[in-house]
Amino acid sequence: MKIERELLKEKLAEMKKAGFDYLEKITAVDYSDHLDVIYLLENIEDGKEEIVEVTMPADDAWVPSVMKLFLAADWYEREMSEMFGINIVGRNAERLLLEKWDGKQPPLRKSFQWGMPYEEGAK
Amino acid sequence: MTNNLQIPFGMGLNVTSYINSPNPVYSVGGIIAFAIIVAIIISIFGYIFGWLERKMIAKVQHRHGPTYVGKFGILQNFADLVKLLAKEDIIPDSAERTLYIIGLPLLVSVSIFLVLLLPFAPSLQATNFAFGILIIFVILSFTPILLFITAFSTSNKFADISAQRSVLILLSYELPMILAVAAVGIAAHGYNIASIISAQSNGIFAIFMPLGLAVLFITMLAELERPPFDLREADSELIAGWLTDMSAPYYALSLFLDYSRMLLGSLLITILFFGGWEGPLLPPIVWLLAKASVISIFIIIIRATTVRMRIDSILKFGWKWLLPLSLINLVIAYIIFA
Amino acid sequence: MAVTRINIGPVHPSTHGVLRLVADIDGDTVVDVQPHIGFLHRGVEKLVETRMFMQNPPYMEKLDYVSPMSYDEVYVAAVEAAMGVEVKERAQYIRVILLELQRIASHLLWIGTMCNDIGQMFTAFMWGFQDRDMVLNLLEEAAGGRMFYVNMRIGGMVRDLPPDFADHALGLMDYMEKRVKEYERYLERNPVFMERMKGVGVLSYDDAKNLGVTGPVLRASGVNFDARKNKAYYVYQKLHFSTQVQMAGDNLARYKVRMMEIRESIRLVREAIKALPDGDALGMPVKLILPAAKNRISIVSRELPRGECIMYLVADAQKPYRLSIRSPSFINLAALNFLAKGQRTADMFGIMGTLDLVMGCVDK
Repeated sequence: MKIERELLKEKLAEMKKAGFDYLEKITAVDYSDHLDVIYLLENIEDGKEEIVEVTMPADDAWVPSVMKLFLAADWYEREMSEMFGINIVGRNAERLLLEKWDGKQPPLRKSFQWGMPYEEGAK
Repeated sequence: MTNNLQIPFGMGLNVTSYINSPNPVYSVGGIIAFAIIVAIIISIFGYIFGWLERKMIAKVQHRHGPTYVGKFGILQNFADLVKLLAKEDIIPDSAERTLYIIGLPLLVSVSIFLVLLLPFAPSLQATNFAFGILIIFVILSFTPILLFITAFSTSNKFADISAQRSVLILLSYELPMILAVAAVGIAAHGYNIASIISAQSNGIFAIFMPLGLAVLFITMLAELERPPFDLREADSELIAGWLTDMSAPYYALSLFLDYSRMLLGSLLITILFFGGWEGPLLPPIVWLLAKASVISIFIIIIRATTVRMRIDSILKFGWKWLLPLSLINLVIAYIIFA
Repeated sequence: MAVTRINIGPVHPSTHGVLRLVADIDGDTVVDVQPHIGFLHRGVEKLVETRMFMQNPPYMEKLDYVSPMSYDEVYVAAVEAAMGVEVKERAQYIRVILLELQRIASHLLWIGTMCNDIGQMFTAFMWGFQDRDMVLNLLEEAAGGRMFYVNMRIGGMVRDLPPDFADHALGLMDYMEKRVKEYERYLERNPVFMERMKGVGVLSYDDAKNLGVTGPVLRASGVNFDARKNKAYYVYQKLHFSTQVQMAGDNLARYKVRMMEIRESIRLVREAIKALPDGDALGMPVKLILPAAKNRISIVSRELPRGECIMYLVADAQKPYRLSIRSPSFINLAALNFLAKGQRTADMFGIMGTLDLVMGCVDK
């Protein structure tokens, strides 16, 4: 289901109460003009899966943190913010998950330029 | 004068009587000869058990162990020693230089000194103190402190943790160990090593006091820091424990320390519970070393099979099981022998 | 006592690769431990976007070098789902057999490394590696490689099983059953081992779900979830096996779940070999792969030895537009801080051992 990011936290809290209390993955897809953030939720007792999608413009990328609802979101959110440059609102800015990564250019965005540092070094 | 000259030829190979002879020249000569003989015994024992340990653990693990250098890989440890000694000795800037350099050699010399206090045969012993066995255990319980100082001198955090653990284990095993020795003292009516051995001529103490043997064996494993009590060198946690910042020559020295201490521990158990050099046909020193070797092999097999204990469970085990058992053993010894 | 901060890794005997831990230790108790990952990061998710569908399985295999074929299979299944291709029945059985063999191999290696972590002198490690080697011999017969296989194609396999594979596999399963018993006798009768495992690193049912841990770690906390059963794929529905669940949630429970899973896998291999149907098992040749629909999303979930792996694939004709991998080790490592807090330093490594981490799988 697709929802607005402002309503995300309430929606996920609602779903957690309804039994979807296992967060499998938070991931994002860059469609050049817009970004999708995807929450995969699972009801472990029934084996039902629910996909929550949040769409946002590529130049205004932020989602609220759902770490208070699911502890599993901690590392997924950090990974996503590093890889896609999506700001996670509502949690402390922590150190980057990956060691020795400057995090300036989000690598999984389609606008990522390959081999930038080396080309610059060659000039 | 003539008397003094005649004694040595009459004594033949009896080192003890050389040492006890009133002539200081013979006495000093005897002590030097004893020290050389013991040094040879320690080196050969350490070398053979260093090789045997690798071979035996390899057998347990369905491997071959060293095979390449020499027959059955017997020279492999020698090759390793050459390699270790040839490496550069790097002392970290943050280390306490003096202690770093003297710490490990001091530990090795203390353990060799302890072996020198032991008798190897009636004709091969340097000292004959009335409380000989107690002196050895007193000095033995001093070694973790030396180790603590050596570990702290490297100013490495893993070494610090290792040193703290080493001293913590001391708290749990020292008391049961001394109590197990005390039971032997009651049984032998004294702490003289030779009299402890001769008291066992009618039956070894292992038969009368199996509890005491168990307690002494376990506490000796802890004293030698062999698995399952090898928290000092817990390689999967502390990398190499107190040796983390030591370079290769010191590592070679620490291996020598380990095996000389293993010989010491095996000899102590042999003397206290298995009748020392008592035995038919073969000469006393062969009996003593054969018995000690069997105990060392047991120590090695334990290393191949068990996992490492945790520091709190060692403390719990020491106070909950070993201490009561050693007290019960003391009572049994009193009932049987007093 | 003052809190000491120690740095463990990235090169350390029991971090299973290049993991760096920064641990705050009070005396001998862990106050806080922060894993620093990324030393093995190869950017696979970006890399696959530049390559055709069937150029990618080798990359997938390098993610988890302990059970490469399982990862290969998840990816191929995701591509199959994107194209709407059905896998041939004989190929389904062959995949089940090989994947279960891979699970046995992975768990055998785990026994060894875990025992090393709690301080064994390499004995279980050597035994585990030797037994794993025999499984690898079988996989070599079937796929041609020992470490990396790449023997999945869209809709089937690269090659059928060799003629005498069934006999060899059944013979090995008999041997393996004996060995599992021996491991259990060897480990569980050792009081020191039980002391190190029992009641250490307890993860409750609610915490396990909240932390999102997966695989044997989740099942050891009493959560009855196994993707092979709950999200049934291939012929797992037709085969008889049970989800292994333990209620205790400690190290021992995680150990028991994995030991029982080896048994279940042995059972599955035997049953699948008996039920193996005749017919064709070969997949599409690589050059004849049909283009997938643009922006078609496929979500595939598989139970790997380390836990549930989910691949979220957005297809773009002949290439993945985006491939998102939910790797089981990644989320299990995220639970380390929660599990190790308040435990002894030595137990921190024991807990890490029972999480069964592979750094290639964590870093991606």
